[in-house]
Amino acid sequence: MTVRSSRDAVADGKALLEVRDLKVHFPTPDGLVKAVDGVNFKIHRGETLGVVGESGSGKSVTFLTVMGLITSKGARLEGEVIFKGRDLLKLPVEEMRHIRGKEMGMVFQDPMTSLHPMYRVGYQIAEAVLAHEAAGKKAAWKLAIDMLGRVGIPKPEEAARRYPHEFSGGMRQRAMIAMSLVLNPDLLIADEPTTALDVTVQAQILDLIDRLKTEFNAAVAIVTHDLGVVAEHCERIHVMYAGKIVETGMSRDLFYRGRHPYTWGLLQSIPRLDAGETQRLLPIKGLPPSLIFVPPGCAFHPRCPYVMDVCRTEVPTMPPTDGRHAAACHLSPEEQERIFVAKVLQQT
Amino acid sequence: MARYIARRLLWVLLVVILVTFLTFLIFFVIPPVDPAILFAGRAPSARLIEEVRQSLGLDHSFWAQYGLFVKRIFLGDQYGWPGFGMSFVTRSPIRENFLSRTWVTGQLALGAAVVWLFLGVFIGITSALKRGRWQDRASMGFALFGVSAPVFWLGLMGLYIFWEKLHWLPGTGYVSFSEGPSQWFLHFLLPWVVLALLFAAFYARMVRGSLLEAFGQDWMRTARAKGLSERKVVYKHALRASLTPVVSLFGADLGTLLGGAIITETVFNLPGLGTYVVRSVQNGDLPVIMDVVVFASLAVALMSLVADILYAFLDPRVRFS
Amino acid sequence: MRKRTLGVFALLLAFALVVAACGDDSATTTSGATSTTGGTAGPAVGGTYRIETDGIAYTSGGDPSGEYLGISFGIFTNLLARTLLTYYHTGGANGNSLAPDLAADFPVISADGLTYTFTLKDGIMFGPPLSRPITSKDVEFAFRRMATESVVAQYEFYYDGLIEGLTLSADMPASIAGIETPDDKTIIFHLTKVSPDFVYLVAMPATSPMPEEVAGCFLQAGEYGRYVVSSGPYMYEGSDQLDASSCEALTASGPVSGFDPEDHSYFVRNPDYDPATDDPAVRANYVDRITIDLNTNAQDIYAKIRAGQLEGAVSSGNPPADVLQAYATDAALQPLLREGGDDRTWYITMNLTAPPFDDIHVRKAANLIMDKAGILQAWGGDISGVIATHIQPPGLTGLGADYDPYATEGHRGDLALAQAEMKLSKYDTDGDGLCDAPECSGVILVNRTTSPWVESEPVVVASLAAIGIQVQVQEAENHYTIIQTVANEIPIGMDPGWGKDYPDSSSFVGFLFDGRGIKAEGNYNYSMVGLSAAQATEFGVASGPTTSVDADIDNCKQVALTDEQGGIDCWNALDKKLMEEVVPWVPYLWPNILTTVGPAVTSWDFDQFAGTTAFSKLAVDPSLQG
Repeated sequence: MTVRSSRDAVADGKALLEVRDLKVHFPTPDGLVKAVDGVNFKIHRGETLGVVGESGSGKSVTFLTVMGLITSKGARLEGEVIFKGRDLLKLPVEEMRHIRGKEMGMVFQDPMTSLHPMYRVGYQIAEAVLAHEAAGKKAAWKLAIDMLGRVGIPKPEEAARRYPHEFSGGMRQRAMIAMSLVLNPDLLIADEPTTALDVTVQAQILDLIDRLKTEFNAAVAIVTHDLGVVAEHCERIHVMYAGKIVETGMSRDLFYRGRHPYTWGLLQSIPRLDAGETQRLLPIKGLPPSLIFVPPGCAFHPRCPYVMDVCRTEVPTMPPTDGRHAAACHLSPEEQERIFVAKVLQQT
Repeated sequence: MARYIARRLLWVLLVVILVTFLTFLIFFVIPPVDPAILFAGRAPSARLIEEVRQSLGLDHSFWAQYGLFVKRIFLGDQYGWPGFGMSFVTRSPIRENFLSRTWVTGQLALGAAVVWLFLGVFIGITSALKRGRWQDRASMGFALFGVSAPVFWLGLMGLYIFWEKLHWLPGTGYVSFSEGPSQWFLHFLLPWVVLALLFAAFYARMVRGSLLEAFGQDWMRTARAKGLSERKVVYKHALRASLTPVVSLFGADLGTLLGGAIITETVFNLPGLGTYVVRSVQNGDLPVIMDVVVFASLAVALMSLVADILYAFLDPRVRFS
Repeated sequence: MRKRTLGVFALLLAFALVVAACGDDSATTTSGATSTTGGTAGPAVGGTYRIETDGIAYTSGGDPSGEYLGISFGIFTNLLARTLLTYYHTGGANGNSLAPDLAADFPVISADGLTYTFTLKDGIMFGPPLSRPITSKDVEFAFRRMATESVVAQYEFYYDGLIEGLTLSADMPASIAGIETPDDKTIIFHLTKVSPDFVYLVAMPATSPMPEEVAGCFLQAGEYGRYVVSSGPYMYEGSDQLDASSCEALTASGPVSGFDPEDHSYFVRNPDYDPATDDPAVRANYVDRITIDLNTNAQDIYAKIRAGQLEGAVSSGNPPADVLQAYATDAALQPLLREGGDDRTWYITMNLTAPPFDDIHVRKAANLIMDKAGILQAWGGDISGVIATHIQPPGLTGLGADYDPYATEGHRGDLALAQAEMKLSKYDTDGDGLCDAPECSGVILVNRTTSPWVESEPVVVASLAAIGIQVQVQEAENHYTIIQTVANEIPIGMDPGWGKDYPDSSSFVGFLFDGRGIKAEGNYNYSMVGLSAAQATEFGVASGPTTSVDADIDNCKQVALTDEQGGIDCWNALDKKLMEEVVPWVPYLWPNILTTVGPAVTSWDFDQFAGTTAFSKLAVDPSLQG
């Protein structure tokens, strides 16, 4: 099995998942929450995509929508989510259910609360199998044990009979991954998969995801707020802010040639191992915006150190990407490069 | 697990002994009536009272009487094992009366339990699934009614409407199953429903709350993400997690009810344990009071134990290894 | 599916409620028939008479030697326990008249009045499981049983010392000196003193014949109750299932299924009873079966009677007020409301040793102020009875309601008269006619917790307050025990009543006001009339002695020995003396016993002796039963 870079995948032409102008709005008594406000991206087979942003940036809602897990009755969905040629938003609920869990799987943040406390781990995995395949219970159980082994859990026959509370955090997350991959889906979405785990375990889990992606020839989307996670494991990264993608590019582009002030803020706020003890952390000033009363113009402008008048009134657009590095910002590319080199690079 | 059960059974025994001792003590310290005088009749003379006291065994010291009571419970008396003793009122062995009344109360309690469990869970689920809609409001309205309406009023209204006016039901009284299954059922129907209503309402609210809480849990999202049908998500995942408080409460409720549903039994003239013990208190019939107290406390303690075991069975997090 | 089921349920409920609301609840008997008074040949024979009760308070397990209650008297004397003499089991004066029952005729009394000779009829038999002739020895055995301490015969004191050689003893006496049984058909009683009451005393159920081979097995209080062998027209259902071959066999085969004091009494005909030995005017025995079942829901009993599912009720009280009202105001139902004048007085007792009632003026004022009409109203109005104006109920004497020493307009009480009386009392310190000393407030008044005493309570409280007596009401289930305990020193109680044991005032006035009968516990001389100084010390009562009428009582008993009318006159005079010079009570009601009967009842009578339904006079038309 050869590892294919995402450039090759692009060259393939056909994206596994294409999200076009997705908008997800929730009407609430306080107002309309624009959780996702015009998001466009593609994922190709064999690719690992990173989606980075603060809480409330819309990154989780985007992928929950892709999975069809937005259950709120009043939610308004616009745009298209095209998966293997079909628009998922237009699919009837039953058909979507067949896709969910089988052709695409999702792993969540806290494995302790994400697994049902009263059913055995093996049972919960086998359940996923039985929901989609006409296999017998024994076959499903065997598959579950097999999967537990593949995610690196020792003594999988015994482990399958245990309950979630008997596992450590890392083991639970492995089990969750096993559950989401057991039916060999084409797309795995990992929503903050390591946030609730120890640092050492984090690395193991991310390595596991990498390995399995290759083994299963799947595509992976990792959603996180942690730049460190995406740095090593993702080829392409989207940065989201206030429901929109504000910067997109290959991993190297973002880290060495970042273009959006928000991205700079993120980079600057990462603590460094080799920094002196007296060196202060640089947070991004201000608070994440309300998704009901989104600031006019560029949503980031109240917090941007380089804000200009035009930022307050005009919404910056993202130039068409086609796999290239792009940012939705009113600063000119030259300005962006200059500031990056002068300010950001020194700190990072 | 076996050790756990054994330990709990020991506690049950301790509780029963404590409860019976306290009851015995209360009877002697603040008796509802002095049976020696009551059973001496219209014109009790000192000698007559003394004779009655002797015939009832009340002339022994408190400890001697309590000792005799404990002895008959554990070792049996001249009428067999366990020793139910002799009633002050009937002057004949309590055994037959006690057993037949326990049987009636048992049927009443179990029947009502089935009704309230199904009704309560059904309404609770409906309410939770249709949260905010008219089904939810209607269900919670029903719950409010069930919790507020006094049992005796419900019973009397039920009798008035369904027996006296509509002639749909046969009225008060107990008909045993062997005497006629359909009459048995019809006679129990109203008592079951009336008794169950209060509990059903309460359980409906509880199940609703429990389910709504379960709906907010992360593993619900996981279940859906796996592609499980909504039906499986609700009934296999959510419901399973919300049943544990129901089980605990059910054990306590059923255990208490087995000791006698006094008001329901009185209104519907069912010869059960509840009316038996109330009249015995009024008559100062000590042996009956003690027998019922033993049974009732045993019922509560054992049912709680069963509920706890069931809880551990349902929720592996609380199991003792 | 869920939606639909819920919808159906709601619809059903709404429908039921609408129907109920539109339902007409005016008096319509659902069985569609009112009572008939029987055909031209009298009531038909046969059928089952169904009764329900909210509780018969057996205090001795149904043992005829022990039971001292009106209802059990009614059951025994009508159905199970024939005696040497009995009553006519009907209402009115006739019901207090004696007739020979087991005896062929009234006794032959010796000239000195100390010897009574009875000759038994032929053909009188015990029913199953014995089915053998009754002999004089069986009658004697009843007395021997009564004299055994462990049996706890509750009115043994009537016979104790009256019949020669009859005293309580720990072991059953082998024989009694004063009772002779020269042959199976003859029984002779030797009395220690002249006692015209004796004829009444041999009509009490404890003297009914008892077979030694059965009753002798049960010498503990109440044990015999569920093994009673009948000498009357009926027996407990299941009596034939008992094995009387030995005491062990009896307890093994028993107790009888037809009687459970906690639950039910079922009576069927006694196959060994020969109607030729009885008088239809005494016992009619129309029905084949009588059932008495417990029903904890009193309202339900009367609803079922009305619906024709029952024939009658047996209760310690009258039907509830709404039932009485419905029957009294509906022409179709009125015939189904039956009553009898009970030989009983309901009264308010005042304790002569407890302030402020230790002052006779206060007691007189209480009589003058009491709103007795209000109390009658609370009891349900005129159908509940006649307002009592003195001690003895009308059935016992000729005094009646005409003698009213504290008469007021409409029996409502008279404030002016009461205040005038109160002014003479030491507890009215300022002479304004109101009780104002410290002893006048916080006076404990004992009352029952049941209807209608609870309803009449405000009337009594208000009346007393009008003359300045502020009471503190204590309602209690065990009210009798409270006022029977001398040490409690209860000043006033509105709970008690007293009914005759037999139609002679010596069991009423002579019983209740005899100072020598005062006991520390179980005392029934609540007013403490005739308390001697020695007794006061013994019982720890501060203010004694009190006015005594012991001499008057003895005198009346003496007069009654030889002169029946003289005796009655003497008791009447004592009644007056008590009301005017001792004033222990405020009597307020001579009650009617009321009950409703079902539409299928073709014969019903009141038993004046027992104050209950005359169980041997019942008849029913099965075609009208629901």
